[in-house]
Amino acid sequence: MRERFRALDSRLLWVILALIALGTLTLYSAGRNTPQAAIWLKQSLWNLIGLFLMLLLATVDPRRIFRYSFPSYLLGLVALAAVLVIGKKIGGATRWFVIAGQTFQPSELMKWVTLLYVSHRLGSKGADSVGRLELFGAVGLVVFPMLLIQRQPDLGMALSFLPILLLIPLMKGLRARWVVALLLLVGVGGFGAWKFVLKPYQKQRVLIFLDPSADLQGKGYQVNQSRIAIGSGGLIGKGFTSGSQTQLNFLPVKTTDFAFSVWAEERGFVGVLLALGLFGLLLSRILDAAREAHTYAEAYFCAGAAGIFSLHLLVNVGMVAGALPNKGMVLPFFSAGGSSTLSFFLALGLIMGVLHRARVK
Amino acid sequence: MQAPGPGDAEMDPRQRPLLRRRLGAFKVMTWSLVALLVLIYAWLQLVRYWEFKQLALQQAVKVRPIPAPRGLVLDRNGQRLVDNRRALHLVIQREDLPTRPEVVASLAAALQVDPAALTRKIQSYRLAGKGRPLVLKENLDEAGIAIAERIRARFPFLGVEVAPRRVYLGDELAGHVLGYVGEVDEPLMKAKPDLYRLGETIGKEGFEASGNDKLKGLDGQKRILVDQLGTEVANFGQEDATAGRSLYLTLDAGMQKIAQDAMGEEAGAVVVLDLRDGGVLAMYSSPSYDPNLFLNRLSQDMVDRYLANNLTKPMVNRPIQGIYAPGSTFKLLVALAALEKGIATPQTAIYCAGKKNFYGRDFRCDKPTGHGSLAMVQAIAQSCDVYFYELASRLDIDDIYATAEKYGLTERTGIDLPQEKRTRIPSRAWKKKAAPKDPKWYAGETISVGIGQGAVGVTPLGLARFYALLATRGKLLTPHLFYGFRDDQSNELQPAPPPAFKDTPLDPKHWATLDEGLAEVVQSGTAGANPFIREIAKLVPFSGKTGTAQVATFVDKAHYARQAKKLKDHALFAGYAPRDHPQIAFAVVVENAGFGSTAAAPVAAKLVKYWCLDRLSNPLPAPRGRMVDPFAPQPTETQE
Repeated sequence: MRERFRALDSRLLWVILALIALGTLTLYSAGRNTPQAAIWLKQSLWNLIGLFLMLLLATVDPRRIFRYSFPSYLLGLVALAAVLVIGKKIGGATRWFVIAGQTFQPSELMKWVTLLYVSHRLGSKGADSVGRLELFGAVGLVVFPMLLIQRQPDLGMALSFLPILLLIPLMKGLRARWVVALLLLVGVGGFGAWKFVLKPYQKQRVLIFLDPSADLQGKGYQVNQSRIAIGSGGLIGKGFTSGSQTQLNFLPVKTTDFAFSVWAEERGFVGVLLALGLFGLLLSRILDAAREAHTYAEAYFCAGAAGIFSLHLLVNVGMVAGALPNKGMVLPFFSAGGSSTLSFFLALGLIMGVLHRARVK
Repeated sequence: MQAPGPGDAEMDPRQRPLLRRRLGAFKVMTWSLVALLVLIYAWLQLVRYWEFKQLALQQAVKVRPIPAPRGLVLDRNGQRLVDNRRALHLVIQREDLPTRPEVVASLAAALQVDPAALTRKIQSYRLAGKGRPLVLKENLDEAGIAIAERIRARFPFLGVEVAPRRVYLGDELAGHVLGYVGEVDEPLMKAKPDLYRLGETIGKEGFEASGNDKLKGLDGQKRILVDQLGTEVANFGQEDATAGRSLYLTLDAGMQKIAQDAMGEEAGAVVVLDLRDGGVLAMYSSPSYDPNLFLNRLSQDMVDRYLANNLTKPMVNRPIQGIYAPGSTFKLLVALAALEKGIATPQTAIYCAGKKNFYGRDFRCDKPTGHGSLAMVQAIAQSCDVYFYELASRLDIDDIYATAEKYGLTERTGIDLPQEKRTRIPSRAWKKKAAPKDPKWYAGETISVGIGQGAVGVTPLGLARFYALLATRGKLLTPHLFYGFRDDQSNELQPAPPPAFKDTPLDPKHWATLDEGLAEVVQSGTAGANPFIREIAKLVPFSGKTGTAQVATFVDKAHYARQAKKLKDHALFAGYAPRDHPQIAFAVVVENAGFGSTAAAPVAAKLVKYWCLDRLSNPLPAPRGRMVDPFAPQPTETQE
């Protein structure tokens, strides 16, 4: 047992611990002057549970986990269907189960379970040997939970499934025409979604993304305040717990979607460089895991995980800076939330397991 | 290790380089992504730093004005006419104004107001410059505060502001004189943005308006840090407001009360002037209004009562805005013009047969049987119309105008109240302008003017000022209400110099004739016929002239027979008291009340009684500044 832990990938672990430290500082500062002053403590508890589960999972042979991917996927679909029926409605969306006073969001975990199962399916044969039917089957496996999630509705979450759809076929060495076909599919799907799936408020968000100045008081207000927070942080920031935008509550939802703005305001460009650097290292290490994986399924999972983490990074960090639409996608290690935190750590546990097995062997 | 399952296909070593190439490409893409984000943040945090820093400061650091308490208004004896009390208003700070229609709608529902009206209010408020919070509900009472607290739980951006509130203590006692305060109008604020701030309280009418600059004080300001809800988080220091100065009016509240009571339900005007300096001792416009009601938003009820559909026109300040035919009170000016022109002497006798024909038309005297032969003093005392028709026929209208001009009747009195109207004394030039279709002046018109009818129209204040001139042997005073400041330390009156007066070339010989005539009016003439007047005159001999001004001609009367009361003559009385040593001059108009001797003179007599008898236990305050003493040796007399 001791040897197993000694063989854990320390580079990945240090990056994760550093990001947790940054996130905890951010939440401490964001929660001050609000009724959520203790949110950093609560999140730390989730982080500890997550770390524990991650390390536990890291010592398990990934192949044993992949073996449960199909029942997990089925269970996930049932959960997504169930949440639509018996879930708790918060702010017009039905996304949560309430268990013992804690809210739990099944879609967070479903993202990883879907990735796990699709990786497992496509990885069962060698690379470059997957048939069209299997490929379309895999697309179906991803789109189905996406549609269930969009029913909640939760566009951001649904879109965070996209990397699975895009990365795995690419990993399998898809030909250019297939990429074009897939892009077309996404394009047509996007048009269809705009026409038939998107709620008016979601369309509004996209439109405001195209012209953020159109509605400074309404939907654009949050992003505008976030940009002011980030921009006024300058090179070295206003100092820990000294960000006026954060501390005077001009910054909206600063413990979740806009947590990174808090960091950017109080720690400035230097802090942003540090955080983004750590995320870059994290993503690099995950891709390293894919390189060193023993099986195709492991490699696909790691690559897909890198894709999902990248998307979260791009959308959240880009969104709070006003460069991308406000889709409500959380930033790992910064945004508070139990379901997402546990999901990220579980995925990282599997990735650590891949690295671990690569080193042990 | 477990046995390999279906998803555990071991990687083909030959494919590894291919996989690695693809993953290498992913890595490059990943770092490119990070680099892209770094660029975005560099753009915001390095390039546009100053811009965003300013924006952050602008919304967190606010300069909030501290309204200065407005000065009080007291009467000349230090009795408070206007007081300040605490009022609570429901407000929204400018930066917290709701924008989303659904928020405005639910706020409107909570406040029980029309959503469209609230939206308009918010929009027009937003368009105007920065300033005080938007007041949603003024002067919350206890129930209002309870409702406000409940609403604030749902709309945390609402605030309750403590502000000084004006209270007008006499209710309707001096409504027109005091006026009222209100929020500054948008046009005024836009015209003079340096002087007025949005939401600022300024005087709207009466002395509150004309004395605004003295009363308003200097607003302070504080620089504060606010959070997103506009709540003050920290104070960076403040400049305190300087309270407005409290002012004394020349008004005597007791006298004003006498005027109010004497007028009762009748419409009309009362003016009493202090002959020493032109101070207004009483100025009452009937019906009056209660300025307290104008501090709140005008309700429909109030609009009906005071503004629209009210034939008694309670908002008109009759002493300075009512134009009345002066009737017989004008005869003194005609007599003066005749004396000065030399077409009559005090001894000139004219025979009155009850009527006289001029230019082919019969002009009637008030006494149909005729007064017989009269000299000037008796003609004034008996108010003989034929006598003054005759004087007028010997005069030219421009002579009358010139005399009126010389003695200040053609100009505004210059009282420190807004919107004073100008007295109307006809002349040839006037008619050209007033009646361009028939610009010729007919000699017959002069006859009517001779008894204060026709085109002549005076304000009660203008009339009182003319009688003040007679009382002071030719001093043309400037009536005014501002008496002085209240000293901040001693809380005592610090008199301000009264406005200058003008000496007129009133010949003392002519004055003596007029003075005797006016005394006779009360002793034996038209006013003396009234037992009440006689009784008061026995105690305090005073002088004055009755007037009965026709409102409609006989033909009109038939035509408007239904409105009998409206067609009765206006009763006037103007004069001064006491006779031998005048202290006050006055003018009284009672609308549609009939004879001056029965309706207006008793009001004046009550004022005289109050001032010269009842008030003796309450002596005059010490004189101030430059004073007029009508009994000082006349320079012309000593030289002769």
